[in-house]
Amino acid sequence: MIPIPYSRIACLALFVIVSGTACTTATYHRTPSPVIEQGVPASERPAVSSEAPRPGGYQEEPPGVQVYPAPRQQPAAVVALLDHAEQQANNGDLPAAAMTLERAIRIDSRNPVLWHHLASVRLAEGDAIQAEQLAKKSNALAAGNYALQARNWDLIAEARRTRGDASGAQSAEQQKRALQTR
Amino acid sequence: MAQRRKRGRKKSRAKKLQRRSFWLPILAMLAVFLTVYIAYLDFQVRQQFDGKRWSLPARVYARPLELYAGLPLTPDALDMELTSLHYQPVSSPRRPGEVSRNRNVFHLITRRFVYWDGEEASRDIRVSLSNGVIERVTHVASGKDASLVRLDPVLVGSFYPSHNEDRVLVKLEDVPPPLVNALIAVEDHGFYSHHGIAPLSIMRALWANIRAREVVQGGSTLTQQLVKNFFLSSERTLTRKVNEAIMALLLEWHYEKDEILEAYLNEVYLGQDGNRSIHGFGLASHFYFERPLSELSVDQFALLVGLVKGPSYYNPRTHPDRATRRRNFVLDVMVEQGVISRDEASRAKSRGLGVSRAMNKAIDTFPAFLDMVRRQLRRDYREEDITSEGLRIFTTLDPQVQWQFEKALDKRLGILERNHSMPGGTLEGAGVVTTIQGGEVLAVAGSRKPGFSGFNRALDANRQVGSVIKPAVYLTALEHPEHYTLATLLDDGPLTYTAPNRTTWSPNNYDRQFHGMTPLYLALANSYNVATARLGLDVGIKPVIATLHDLGIDQPLNAYPSLVLGAVELSPMQVTQMYQTIASGGFQTPLRAIRAVLAADGAPLQSYPLRVEAAINPDAAYLVTTALRYASRVGTGRSLYQVLPSDMDIAGKTGTTDDMRDSWYAGYTGDRLAVVWVGRDDNKSSGLSGSSGALLVWRDLFARLGASGSLQSDVEGIEYFRIDPATGLRAEQGCENGVELPFIKGSEPVADAPCAKHGLPLQKPVDWFKELFQ
Repeated sequence: MIPIPYSRIACLALFVIVSGTACTTATYHRTPSPVIEQGVPASERPAVSSEAPRPGGYQEEPPGVQVYPAPRQQPAAVVALLDHAEQQANNGDLPAAAMTLERAIRIDSRNPVLWHHLASVRLAEGDAIQAEQLAKKSNALAAGNYALQARNWDLIAEARRTRGDASGAQSAEQQKRALQTR
Repeated sequence: MAQRRKRGRKKSRAKKLQRRSFWLPILAMLAVFLTVYIAYLDFQVRQQFDGKRWSLPARVYARPLELYAGLPLTPDALDMELTSLHYQPVSSPRRPGEVSRNRNVFHLITRRFVYWDGEEASRDIRVSLSNGVIERVTHVASGKDASLVRLDPVLVGSFYPSHNEDRVLVKLEDVPPPLVNALIAVEDHGFYSHHGIAPLSIMRALWANIRAREVVQGGSTLTQQLVKNFFLSSERTLTRKVNEAIMALLLEWHYEKDEILEAYLNEVYLGQDGNRSIHGFGLASHFYFERPLSELSVDQFALLVGLVKGPSYYNPRTHPDRATRRRNFVLDVMVEQGVISRDEASRAKSRGLGVSRAMNKAIDTFPAFLDMVRRQLRRDYREEDITSEGLRIFTTLDPQVQWQFEKALDKRLGILERNHSMPGGTLEGAGVVTTIQGGEVLAVAGSRKPGFSGFNRALDANRQVGSVIKPAVYLTALEHPEHYTLATLLDDGPLTYTAPNRTTWSPNNYDRQFHGMTPLYLALANSYNVATARLGLDVGIKPVIATLHDLGIDQPLNAYPSLVLGAVELSPMQVTQMYQTIASGGFQTPLRAIRAVLAADGAPLQSYPLRVEAAINPDAAYLVTTALRYASRVGTGRSLYQVLPSDMDIAGKTGTTDDMRDSWYAGYTGDRLAVVWVGRDDNKSSGLSGSSGALLVWRDLFARLGASGSLQSDVEGIEYFRIDPATGLRAEQGCENGVELPFIKGSEPVADAPCAKHGLPLQKPVDWFKELFQ
């Protein structure tokens, strides 16, 4: 059995949740901008629940085109839930924070920030395997958002270290560094 | 009997001098017997009271509806939800559970409700809807926006113990005082002063009955009535009367009045619903008025109190006149006892009974879904705990989706039977609807007959899947971008495969034609069997099986070549799991019907957290979804758009088996996935293909449900290139039939098609941008 540094994980998770950034200096906590942006420049913000539609060329109705009006703004409900989850995590109630994040994911299931936070809560709870999977899920939804991807790789590295997978952690670190230089 | 023995004891004392030697042992034995007997009764009384008093059925709730600006929701859907929650339409809501509607604006006061993640307070809100979405949710008092309001969840069923007792437990402090006062006034005026039995009140009851010339009052105290309900059978013997009296005294000796009263409120028998008996005021309130006790008015309290005397004789549904007389009598007693004023009573008397139409909640509304819930619960709980511990089970069921699914299925099968000259009832159908990213099961149809609780086809009907399996073959290929892309030309020419044991296999296409060299995405979109068989043999049957396991098919699969064309039996639920993994971009989430389970006291017992597993390459999943979108637009699923709006983005696959025994359709939009199976229970031919059967059910369902959200998110590893489908090469700005196809970065073809042209202005993308920003 490898000793699990719970306190360290908890600190990290709280840090991620509170500051919203485990690897950059920008913070989002209590800044005037919406909580959800968490230090990620608006230009890099992922198109939440929206898709950059593709030009199509097949007949009149190309499959790539999505003409549904994509919500450009974060639903206020999601912002409120994220805020609530943050408070719950700050108070050390990680199970409650996870439930709140799951509730937010039901509303905005393609929002990579929500999946990232759920990953950090799971890591803090000691579930390193789910933490890694959830961070990967966040990454799969975070195309173009290199800052968030880097944070997810950082979290994956930590999760792997927790499980005693040093080389896996190292390769995750490499992924992170590659993203930071972009 | 015990009293008779007591008397016997006195007599024996009188004769003790003469017959001492004879009576003493008998006396001692009697004393011992009496002591033991009373101790036994005492034990029973305390056991019942201190231990678990009632077995409480588990309550199963649908998902709560969350109201927030931006939620796709029609006014009628909201109306339907509020109706099933028994919100009362009023002109101006004042209490929780009341609503007023002015076209697309609802004013409602929500009910307080305790969820697994905390309490949702009652809120006075206004909800405005327009164009199929919630425009605003505001607090009525402050006029400020409410970011998120959760309604109470619809109760969709209960799991009863075998003896079918049902209850909604209430705490004394939550019972409205007028009800308690009315009960004491009518049933046991001296409740707070007697010691369990009250000889005076027996006399008073006798007098009242003589005065009224009918039996209007019983002489038993509430304590005696409780004992009768609680411990004893309904036999009318002296022994029982004596036991009742002793136990009533013991109960009063051990417990406070309020504890006894609370037990009474929850125990008293107040009605019958089929084989389900209605115990306690909490359940009776729901049973007769479809509302919690806290929302009833004084005339309704009086009616319930009146029922104590004879729930079937005074049944307001079958004997409204008797029930009205009884209610009015209770109101009179309440005036006599100073509980209400004469004015209040006359106002209450002027009201109708207000009893809801006969309902039969004992029959669960959605048996196929509840069956799935029960199976998931059995993994974690014992059967007796499921039915008796009062578990509160919060499920993922979306009643709106479930109703629409049931309607679509039954209606469409009826139409199909008429159009294909089949006798009514020939066809059966089943299916599952889920969310995509969270894997939450929204609806389950186990039969075309809603409410049918027999064979659950969604879970238990293992049927050949046919072409529905094909995406697994293409996925296996596309996970090797160095060999396969959407533009790779596949050979759909005649094929004969000779197995190692020298048997041969020559698959045919559905249209009995061969289509020559076909780009991979169109081979899947058009469901070409021969091209798929060749592809499957090229990538290998075992890797295809591995992909199926990755997608969530747990059962062992035989490595026959015909597997790649769907010669394998799966249930609709298994097919749903497989497509969930593809639809969510390669992340498998085990399908869940339960979100959380709470104990009767609200303590969280178990949560069923959202879990994901990166199961297949997200880039390959993206490519398969793209091909399945082509299937809807130009392939086997194109009849979808005869009805559905062209802006609804759908990825899906039809499936048809030999002799048209099974008709399948698995399809997903941005937010929901649904799998439908149609066929016959006797496994004979239904004459329906995937697109002429199951697809039409799916289409009807999504015509009702609509769709929101985008089907595909951007994926980092994907790039789009314009391709000439005839050659599978780069079209650039040329080629009339050129298509934009996604490629895993670096896998795109480098060579130009003969029709390719460079350097022309990018016409299409400009148009496309215009369209986007209009």
